[in-house]
Amino acid sequence: MSIGAHVLLIGASIIMLYPLLWLLSASLKPQEQIFTSGIWPTIDWSIDSYFRGWNGLRTSFSVFFMNSFVIAVLSVVGNLIACSMAAYAFARLRFKGRNFWFAMMLGTLMLPSQVTLIPQYVLFRDLGWINTILPLVVPKFLAVDAFFIFLMVQFFRGIPRELDEAAMMDGCSPWRIFYKIMLPLSMPVLVTVSIFTFIWTWDDFFAPLIYLNRMQDYTVMLGLRTFVDSTGESDYGGLFAMSVLSIVPIFLFFLFFQRLLIEGIATTGMKR
Amino acid sequence: MAVNAAEAAVPDAASGNSIWSRAWQNHAPGYLFLLPWFIGFFGLTVGPIITSFYLSFTDFDLLTPAEWVGVDNYVRMFTNDRSFAASMRVTFFFVIFSVPLKLAFALGVAVLLNRGMKGLPLYRALFYLPSLLGASVAIAILWRQIFARDGLVNDVLSIFGIVGPSWISNPNYSLWTLIILSIWQFGSPMIIFLAGLRQIPQDMYEAASLDGAGKWRQFVKITLPLLTPVVFFNAIIQTIEAFKSFTPAFIISGGTGAPINSTLFYTLYLYNEAFSFFRMGYASALAWFLLLLIACFTAFSFLTSKYWVHYDD
Amino acid sequence: MTFRMPRRQFLMGTSALAAAGAFGLRPAFAQDEALRLIWWGGQARADRTLAVADAYAASTGTTPPEGEFLSWNDYWPKLATQVAGGTAPDVLQMDYRFIVEYATRNAIAPMDDYLGGVLNLDDFDEDQLEGGKVDGKLYGLSLGANSVAMLVNTTAFEEAGVAVPDRDWTYDTMREIGEAFKAANIRGGMTGMSDGSGSEPMLDNWIRQRGKPLYTAEGKLGPNVDDMVEWFTMWNEFRDAGYINSAEDQALDTGAAEVSMVALNKAAMIPSNSNQLVIHQSINPDTLTITSYPRIAAGVGGGHYRKPSQFWSISGASQNKEAAAAFLSYFVNDVEAGKVLGVERGIPCSAAVRDAVAPTLSEQDQIALNFVANLGDLLGPLPASPPNAAGEIDTSLLRVLSQEVGFGGRSAEDAGKFFVDEATAILNRAS
Repeated sequence: MSIGAHVLLIGASIIMLYPLLWLLSASLKPQEQIFTSGIWPTIDWSIDSYFRGWNGLRTSFSVFFMNSFVIAVLSVVGNLIACSMAAYAFARLRFKGRNFWFAMMLGTLMLPSQVTLIPQYVLFRDLGWINTILPLVVPKFLAVDAFFIFLMVQFFRGIPRELDEAAMMDGCSPWRIFYKIMLPLSMPVLVTVSIFTFIWTWDDFFAPLIYLNRMQDYTVMLGLRTFVDSTGESDYGGLFAMSVLSIVPIFLFFLFFQRLLIEGIATTGMKR
Repeated sequence: MAVNAAEAAVPDAASGNSIWSRAWQNHAPGYLFLLPWFIGFFGLTVGPIITSFYLSFTDFDLLTPAEWVGVDNYVRMFTNDRSFAASMRVTFFFVIFSVPLKLAFALGVAVLLNRGMKGLPLYRALFYLPSLLGASVAIAILWRQIFARDGLVNDVLSIFGIVGPSWISNPNYSLWTLIILSIWQFGSPMIIFLAGLRQIPQDMYEAASLDGAGKWRQFVKITLPLLTPVVFFNAIIQTIEAFKSFTPAFIISGGTGAPINSTLFYTLYLYNEAFSFFRMGYASALAWFLLLLIACFTAFSFLTSKYWVHYDD
Repeated sequence: MTFRMPRRQFLMGTSALAAAGAFGLRPAFAQDEALRLIWWGGQARADRTLAVADAYAASTGTTPPEGEFLSWNDYWPKLATQVAGGTAPDVLQMDYRFIVEYATRNAIAPMDDYLGGVLNLDDFDEDQLEGGKVDGKLYGLSLGANSVAMLVNTTAFEEAGVAVPDRDWTYDTMREIGEAFKAANIRGGMTGMSDGSGSEPMLDNWIRQRGKPLYTAEGKLGPNVDDMVEWFTMWNEFRDAGYINSAEDQALDTGAAEVSMVALNKAAMIPSNSNQLVIHQSINPDTLTITSYPRIAAGVGGGHYRKPSQFWSISGASQNKEAAAAFLSYFVNDVEAGKVLGVERGIPCSAAVRDAVAPTLSEQDQIALNFVANLGDLLGPLPASPPNAAGEIDTSLLRVLSQEVGFGGRSAEDAGKFFVDEATAILNRAS
């Protein structure tokens, strides 16, 4: 590829990086200068905000990171299992009512979550799940994220039919076809689902906000939001320092998994 | 549990010959694979959805029991609510401009990054960074730094002698700054495009280049057609998401839709009705109208998709 | 049919899942009799509040109350969800704007039964007690009095060579200050004051000086069309003369401290609140102080009042109302508790606590305390609690209209009439 492409990409990267640089610089400034000075760090920069922020709330951020991590990993596992099964059924199996259920599934994508929030809360209350991570995790194992089902359906339908038809002829059960043929050939989409689930679960604050009451159960995003209150004293320095740290795990997760995204195809070797 | 049953079901059923067992053989695996989804759908999703539909015919205010008001909410929406009309305009404008631009950008970058070039993983990661930031508080402050009168954009423009307005707080341009924010966070569709591109067999390109087809021709003849399921997916999802777009406006305008309702997104308006003004019944009606709107669009897309989306089956 | 108790209906559809609840990570609603508290605020407020909660538990030998705190924006949807789900904490922080809303719907409980019993308010300021009443019953215990106040950047005033306005300043002084700042042209065109036309407290203060309330005791709108036209016309004059910020700059302010015109260095003064000095000072390298809102003419007063800024209320669904009332009594009366709490939520309403706290305060807190304590002739009567729809009129009418006028989309005459018509319609719909 030409030098021109590199120049273009580097230029674009700088625009993309600007927010992170700003965030980094804000986290290194004394609080009273954050909003009044530019992006460049001031002379009296320090990493105080990081120490103050990490233990600035009643519960340390190490607890929040652990909580977020547990919820995100469980969510990834749940989505991978449940959504891929549902997607396989919609993409490959023929059964009565398939189109109807597919339409229902898509329909669940369209209603704004703000209005189902309270009925859902009442439901989880009746199940005794308030104040636990169950409302955040169990739905993932029941494939309520229609987005991922739809995504996988689109990819499964791109896999050549001859492959599973041949297997069917050989007497393979749908289950064997699913995990011997479909899943290995779908590495890119499985990786994509993992990346998105992890990042979105990590970034989500509304569900944790509603369902978690005790600070030792808080996630990172919830902790971050607790730093700043528009009506009282706020620790902006701590907020920005912890914001920088909160990006690190999802950035690493992304870096690691995007390699799988690229390598996955080489190891499974899609030949036709 | 469900999966074992699915595996066991087929040989069992194959041994019988009756209509019932054949029906079982044909339909059961599908339902068994869908079992977790069915439990989630009926257990967790249907109840709240039906409840919200019921609430759209009530005056539910969150704090006291709901009372039936018939179609009052829907009537008010269309006859006596200027904010509803304003939020419709804002939302449609946002959908029409942000979705195609974001998709084009994501596809372009994905194609560019889907090469064996050194350092590509790093570029990919950098391009995904803005999407990682999501809805952080920092975004609001950052966007002001860029699009205010004395912000980055005007600094650049001033080199060319142009004196720009305060983009983010001028009602003529504020929505555009949110459209740019949406395009800037193009990481998710980009990744999906990338995953789609990885699935296109490399040997097809090899065959094409042997035939002397250039890069552009390969893109039009091979990449695009094989990518249509993914393009279709991204288009539908991004449109639904754009219709439901909430967080950018919520964060940047401080939840008000200011200046002068120029960023009053539909769901932002709905959220304020529900949680600021305690009109959950009305908000539910708004939600169901939005669902109807999106459903019409999606149905239309599916109907036309058979003319341009190519599946392998 | 009601929506509050759909327990049975929901379970019919979800009996399969009900079993799953059995393996919940911990028992839900463990009944250890601890009071549950919820409030909005940052960590500083939480430290103080929880320290008092622990001290209370130590002195009574009970389980320490559990506290949960959120930022203002997150607090209201969560509280509304909890109230709707019947899981609201026993004690919750309430705002002046929402207390009528919650009280008339029984989401919070009256405390009159505990008065003279576990709840001792003998020493409590009468006006603050009144402020927490709805329909004559006590629903909220004021946690501090505040007053509206102009937040002043004194460093900027020095730079511009203008004297910081004293408590006698008027809207005419505003013109002089505006001219002086224009002439000084400091910090890239900093104005003397931000645009206050969309500020509900500023309008409230202005109309009260004209002898009318913003909302009457019957929940009707106070100002008439002429008042409102004059209001918008006055700000137009200021804007056209360059005394206040342009509409474009003003729209950068979305309500948070870090985007105020003072924080952005675009104005030397903004309408604010006495308890906001601390937060603004914490993010501003300049020296800030507070002064009164301008008078409409020399010698006219009565615009200000000591506003209860935050309340403790007892949840209507609480099983421990009496215990909650006892805790609240300790919270507002105990001198040691008062020293821990300081004036973080406002000036304490018990005279004994106030006297004990005063010497321990920081410089900015002293300024706020002295300001609120010495309003003198600026002080007017406490207005009736705002009607249900006051919040909606503020956010979706006054602020929008002020921007429409500012950007030139509406004339002052048109906006004045529109405001009165529309506000009346909103009030009628909500009542």
